[in-house]
Amino acid sequence: MTNYIATIGVEVHVELKTKTKIFSNSKNGYGQMANSLTNVIDLGYPGTLPTLNEEVLNLAIKAATVLNCKIRKEMHFDRKNYFYPDNPKNYQITQFATPIGYDGYVEIDVDGKKKKIYIEEMHIEEDTCKSTHRGEKTLLDFNRAGVPLIEIVTKPCMSTPEEAKKYLEKLRELLLYSDISDCKMEEGSMRADANVSIRKKESDPFNTKAEIKNIGSISNVGLSIEKEIERQAKIYDAGETFKPQTRRFDDKLQDTVLMRVKETGNDYRYFPEPDIPFVIVTDERIEKVKKEIPMLPDERRLKYQELGIAEVNANKIVLNRSISDYLNNLLDEKINFKTASNLLLGDIQAYLNKNEKEITDTTLTKERFIDLVNKMDDNTLTSKNLKDILDKVLESDKSISEIMKECNVENITDDKAIKEVIKKIIAENPESVADYKAGHDRAIKYLMGQVMKETKGGVNPKMAMDILTEELN
Amino acid sequence: MKYLDKSIIEINKLLKEKKIKPIDLVEEAYENIESSDLNAYITLTKEEAYQKAKELEDKEVDSLLFGLPIAVKDNICTKGVLTTCASHMLDNFVPIYDATVVEKINNANMIIIGKTNMDEFAMGSSSRTSYFGAPHNPWDTNKISGGSSGGSASTIAARDVLFALGSDTGGSIRQPASYTGIVGMKPTYGRVSRYGLIAFASSLDQIGPMTKNVYENALLLNVISGHDDKDLTSANKEEDFTRLIGKDVKGMKIAIPNFFVSDIVDKEIIAKLKETVKVLEKLGATVDYVDMKYLDNAVTLYQIIAMGEASSNLARFDGIRYGHSKENPEDIKDVYFGTRAEGFGKEVKRRIMVGSYLLSGENAREYFYKALSIRDDMKQEFTNIFKDYDFVIGPTTTTTAYLLTDPMDDPSKSFMDDVLVIPVNMAGIPGLNMPIGFDKNHMPIGMQIIANSFEEAKIYQLASALEKELNLELNPNAGGDNND
Amino acid sequence: MKEKLSREEVLHVAELARIAVTEEEIEKYQVELKKLLNDVEKINEVKGYDDEILIAPWSHNTDLREDKEGEMLDPKKVIENAPRHSGNYIQVPVVIGESEGA
Repeated sequence: MTNYIATIGVEVHVELKTKTKIFSNSKNGYGQMANSLTNVIDLGYPGTLPTLNEEVLNLAIKAATVLNCKIRKEMHFDRKNYFYPDNPKNYQITQFATPIGYDGYVEIDVDGKKKKIYIEEMHIEEDTCKSTHRGEKTLLDFNRAGVPLIEIVTKPCMSTPEEAKKYLEKLRELLLYSDISDCKMEEGSMRADANVSIRKKESDPFNTKAEIKNIGSISNVGLSIEKEIERQAKIYDAGETFKPQTRRFDDKLQDTVLMRVKETGNDYRYFPEPDIPFVIVTDERIEKVKKEIPMLPDERRLKYQELGIAEVNANKIVLNRSISDYLNNLLDEKINFKTASNLLLGDIQAYLNKNEKEITDTTLTKERFIDLVNKMDDNTLTSKNLKDILDKVLESDKSISEIMKECNVENITDDKAIKEVIKKIIAENPESVADYKAGHDRAIKYLMGQVMKETKGGVNPKMAMDILTEELN
Repeated sequence: MKYLDKSIIEINKLLKEKKIKPIDLVEEAYENIESSDLNAYITLTKEEAYQKAKELEDKEVDSLLFGLPIAVKDNICTKGVLTTCASHMLDNFVPIYDATVVEKINNANMIIIGKTNMDEFAMGSSSRTSYFGAPHNPWDTNKISGGSSGGSASTIAARDVLFALGSDTGGSIRQPASYTGIVGMKPTYGRVSRYGLIAFASSLDQIGPMTKNVYENALLLNVISGHDDKDLTSANKEEDFTRLIGKDVKGMKIAIPNFFVSDIVDKEIIAKLKETVKVLEKLGATVDYVDMKYLDNAVTLYQIIAMGEASSNLARFDGIRYGHSKENPEDIKDVYFGTRAEGFGKEVKRRIMVGSYLLSGENAREYFYKALSIRDDMKQEFTNIFKDYDFVIGPTTTTTAYLLTDPMDDPSKSFMDDVLVIPVNMAGIPGLNMPIGFDKNHMPIGMQIIANSFEEAKIYQLASALEKELNLELNPNAGGDNND
Repeated sequence: MKEKLSREEVLHVAELARIAVTEEEIEKYQVELKKLLNDVEKINEVKGYDDEILIAPWSHNTDLREDKEGEMLDPKKVIENAPRHSGNYIQVPVVIGESEGA
């Protein structure tokens, strides 16, 4: 790339998965009729006052815990004052002086090495309303106004676009797995801003930084940082400088574009919010919240590998929360986890994707799944046959054996029947038999193939091989 | 007729015996208001009041306040009824919800008869910043009735109704009560829910009762106080505020800060206070003059904190969701700048501008946070004094009510009018004004009684003992004949 | 102490407060605002206090609200008080640029 060292910090806003808003009891929902999820508090009506949603506090504590942050035990809120049509009170209630979490970190893998990305602070605040621009006018929908957010701010400790992407992927995974947010960047429930500056050497002072706002996907975060580093490098290479500024990533141009040059520091006129007294975070509450945190992704990946699942598959499973949870429910069972993971990631996931279902929407109970894995494992059911019966396995309540019988994919398990078929094949292929006897291993594979062809795969291959070998000798 | 001149016990008896109906009281209240012509109201809610009175006819008279008319300051939201804050900004604003105190009044079967005049957004000390013109003082209609709850004070003093609600951010209940010779209580911060009170300075605002006497004041506080889930700052305390009324005050210890009798106060008022001290001593209380730190800084702290908070609280009036909006704006900037230039009056604009400035950039540290630090020490100073004394007393105002035509061009004047009442808001403690006599022009002089947090009942105890002993004629319409 | 603010100072605070001012008003504010700012300078004369701040005279800490849905407004009510609206939306003249905040 360039001969500069980049310094990157990332700020992420995440909407919390609560039933109601942070300061009012109207519904926290997405994609509903405009202005149907509001009350007088969300609209900033004169005389209204905020109340504080307990679940917001719990989820923020949970986030602070999974991000390895210290938790502040006594905190207050602050008002951030700025006029904007999406800001109903023209001040936003946030935490400026006493963020709930601070001094945390997230660990990422960079080229096989672990690196800690340090979290400066994380705080609780309210979301703004949604504005849509239509020609000469802007339309305001207050459904989002007052949706609870946490903002997570890293130290400027990343140096490549790749690190920023890895950090975001890790952050997203942690928040998803601990049920803090659904982290859908396309719906805006997770939004990222990146601060980028570059310099020649580590010993140089930091240069001017540019902030790239509201980037719509993790891959665009990487791309926009890359483009921004190139842009700044070109400026410095030409012996020029630039002013601190806010930029955005333009999807069409696939590049960052200028939004505005920053004035001499934004004047948000912060002061402590008098309408909300001190909030006390008790040790009991912290303990209770910690107990609700499920096994986190890193631990899952390790555990899966211990059980014999390949690393690449362990990673794939963790990418799908509901599949991973499904598997976690089986961790104490004595089954072949390699088979189980192949099943889940192969045919089952294909079915789920095709039908837009979650595994929990299917009829595959724990018991039926164990049965299925064991049947696959001892070859009672072949993968070819599985494909034929999969829909029924996932849509009906019948036992696997019953389904196999109904669909005529039962393996011929009767010795005599198999023997008859094998005798017939041996009789029909004297050349191959001769080859085998002459020591050509390939011949037995050919014969075996003929057996499978004859039985349309409906025979236990291991059993068939044993009998074939016996008959040939 | 004139039922409203009778004692509350007598009115209640008449209602119970069905000799009168609530509608008679409503009718009388409107006759009073229309004949006294004090510009005390911004909106009369006749239709709603008569309807409510009718509804009450079938109900059992279950409390002393049943069926009684009440006036509500126009910065308290009433569902379906214009709530203007005496501002052009809200002169078309009809709230879609009731303030908690309004719900409580309705549940107590009291009848709201109108919304009272006030300083615009409660900013002022004479109610002359009202977009609808100032209310008049019934003792001398050329004079102010004080502010910001000037309309409520005026209508109570004139005996139009028995009950009114005011709000007090820096003396806005006690100071007009003093100018008009009535009883006004600023309760402990958190005693009364602020939900639905259009905020001026959130850390100082408190709703309180304004009445002609102490007992009725305590009764109204019983109705409006109590915990509210909708206001995180509201306290979880319930009690009967009349319970100590009539009890002996012998042995009670009272402090008068020297600042309260310094040369900033009219000699005539100090003299009246000293007469009152003698009465208190006669009742068995002891009175000491003490030095208290920070009292003389209270106005400065108030200017910084109240203007700072107000600049944020009033930011929501932007012409987008409700209220006044500039017509045919050129662009979004014009919606903000134009609406706010047209909608707010001079006093409000000044305070918002100065408040914004005091919070901006480095000024937040230089002024606002410094003020919060001193405020903490000032509260501590009161906590300390209440270790040794039951009450702090003093004059409520430095002068009696002045002329409506007095100049308004000094922006500091409205703050200085409240120099003696502001410390109470700073400390969040309760304070009550009661009349103690008249000046040479027969304008009322008021005294304030201050106690520690949540000791309103004790304040009523002392105030009622003194009220009984002083036995003043406080009806400006009485014309000399004393029929009490 | 100065008796007047500069024009620029008045325009700056008017900008912070989002209030349009006329030429005539600027002149008045130069004096009036300065008077109030001189008043608050007195805070620097206060001595002997500690750093502890009082945000508000709260009598207790925050009670938390259960995460349970309550009543919401009909969208028709939401737009009823709004000076400009379109369909279910509250409307303003087009806003250029992105939000400063969250």
